[in-house]
Amino acid sequence: MMWGFKLEVKQNLRTKKFWVIIIIMAVLYVPSFYFMKSFFLQSGKHVTNEAAMSMLISSITGMTSFFVAILALLIGATAINSEIEKGTLRIAMSKPIKRLHYIGGKFLAHSLVLLVALLFSTVVSLLGILYLGGSFTTQLVVDVFLLNMLLLLAMIQLVALGYILSTVIKSSNTALGLALILMFVIFMIVPSIVNFLAIKNTINTDMGEMQKLQKEYTTKYLFYDPISQVKVITQDVSTTLSKNPQEVLKVRYNGVAYAIRNNLMNFAHIIWLTILYLFIGFYRFVKMDLR
Amino acid sequence: MILKIEGLVKNYGDIRALDGLNLEVKRGQVYGFLGPNGAGKSTTILSTMGLIFPQKGRIELFGSEIFSEGKYNEDNLVEAKRKIGYMPEHATLWDFLTPLQTLDIIGEAFKMPKSERIRRSEELLKMIGLWEVKNKKVGKFSKGMRQRLLLAQSLINNPELLILDEPMTGLDPSGIAEFKNIIRELNKEGKTVFFSSHILAHVEEICDTVGVIVKGKIRLEGNLETIKHEFLQKAGYTIILETTKKILFDGTGWRVTPLGEKKYRIVTSYDIREELHDFVASQGAKILTMQVKEPSLEEIFLEMVE
Repeated sequence: MMWGFKLEVKQNLRTKKFWVIIIIMAVLYVPSFYFMKSFFLQSGKHVTNEAAMSMLISSITGMTSFFVAILALLIGATAINSEIEKGTLRIAMSKPIKRLHYIGGKFLAHSLVLLVALLFSTVVSLLGILYLGGSFTTQLVVDVFLLNMLLLLAMIQLVALGYILSTVIKSSNTALGLALILMFVIFMIVPSIVNFLAIKNTINTDMGEMQKLQKEYTTKYLFYDPISQVKVITQDVSTTLSKNPQEVLKVRYNGVAYAIRNNLMNFAHIIWLTILYLFIGFYRFVKMDLR
Repeated sequence: MILKIEGLVKNYGDIRALDGLNLEVKRGQVYGFLGPNGAGKSTTILSTMGLIFPQKGRIELFGSEIFSEGKYNEDNLVEAKRKIGYMPEHATLWDFLTPLQTLDIIGEAFKMPKSERIRRSEELLKMIGLWEVKNKKVGKFSKGMRQRLLLAQSLINNPELLILDEPMTGLDPSGIAEFKNIIRELNKEGKTVFFSSHILAHVEEICDTVGVIVKGKIRLEGNLETIKHEFLQKAGYTIILETTKKILFDGTGWRVTPLGEKKYRIVTSYDIREELHDFVASQGAKILTMQVKEPSLEEIFLEMVE
């Protein structure tokens, strides 16, 4: 298994798609933190440590999950078919390696590559928090770790979905195109529609009711979308206490562990679909003609 | 027996690529696997390497059954692959690696110790003439250089059986000559070579045994000399008669082309040397000279394909 892992890590860390996404993330993070700081300075609000942590969580789950999700789906959707097209898979599989070990190694390598991307964005976010006036605490480190693990699980689900595409669609370009369409339609447009319906159905109620319905709809109708599930979970990481927009932003910080415990159904959706996708992807690879 | 295939069937949808293929490769042979495009050569090789799933049949490598009843025995297959070097058709290697890194990582798949990998990589890169560019990225290589490296990767484990799928595609004439020499040398070292091609001259020059596959079936298999001898009967005969005499060949079933008053060209599907003398005599004439043209492998091959 380690042979496939080593080869795949080398392959992924040296490909353009990985570095392009990392660079885009870095380029987008810098202005977003700059604008956040300008906003706080202009409004004269004081940023508490809890508020800074909440911002960190939301920036990682928002921006990072978007970019790393694209990376994950692209990595997965071209994992097998592009290697068949190039012929490198025939070389690899002509060596004394079992198919399951090879795909297992590939999967571990892809997970590691995603973790590297997540950690990169986390480091940038932490620097951003320092820039906004927050400070490091033990809880912050623990929560950043937990959040990264949660996001990694979600991203692995997308890689696994990509494996299925990659073993079903022979052309890597077609698979790539389909992956991007899936990304935008199923993981962006449909969640927006579901959220819109939740808002529409709670138009005359308060914010709490609306969030409750959004969570319910997301759990029920967007169970296949790991990014939406992560967003639902991370909503509970903190609770806004300030009632008046003019007063200092007060936030009760609950932590990532609390948020996961509070949304076990959403966490379960991420896990079971990941296992299912991986099983289908691995099974297809083990049984497919590599030509 | 190093490779034995029995009744192998492989369908791609409605297309039958292998139709009950039987094939045997003995230790020490240089086996030329000939066939037109789409005959099933690559499908046979891919099945032997466990890369595709045939529907029926049996494959044995080094005496162990690796495939039967629609399933591979993965343990036996992995064990067999330790002793095989495979060079696929239309493949590239990892563009981001150098030749040294490529051979190193492939050696790792065979669990070769680092020192052995370094020694073997150097030996092979020198042998195939890529030592000077050992640190250049494969992505910048020409097709010929890639082919050489593909051959080198197939030799890293010092294999007992070398399976080469159209190995000379993309090589220039000097590359082809070097390649043939390498195969001859490897065979002298006792390695068995199973080598597919549609270029007959290559096969004729370096193989001692030939198998011709047409529409997924072996149509002809055996020693190259024996095959030629068997096909002699399908050769063309040119006869010159002693005197000018019109001979009527009607009803013989032979294909006859008059080439002059005394000269005829006759093509048959069986050996007619004795019969021809008698036939001409029965028409009151006598054969002065008879030339039998021995068929080239190309003619045999075309006959099979047609």
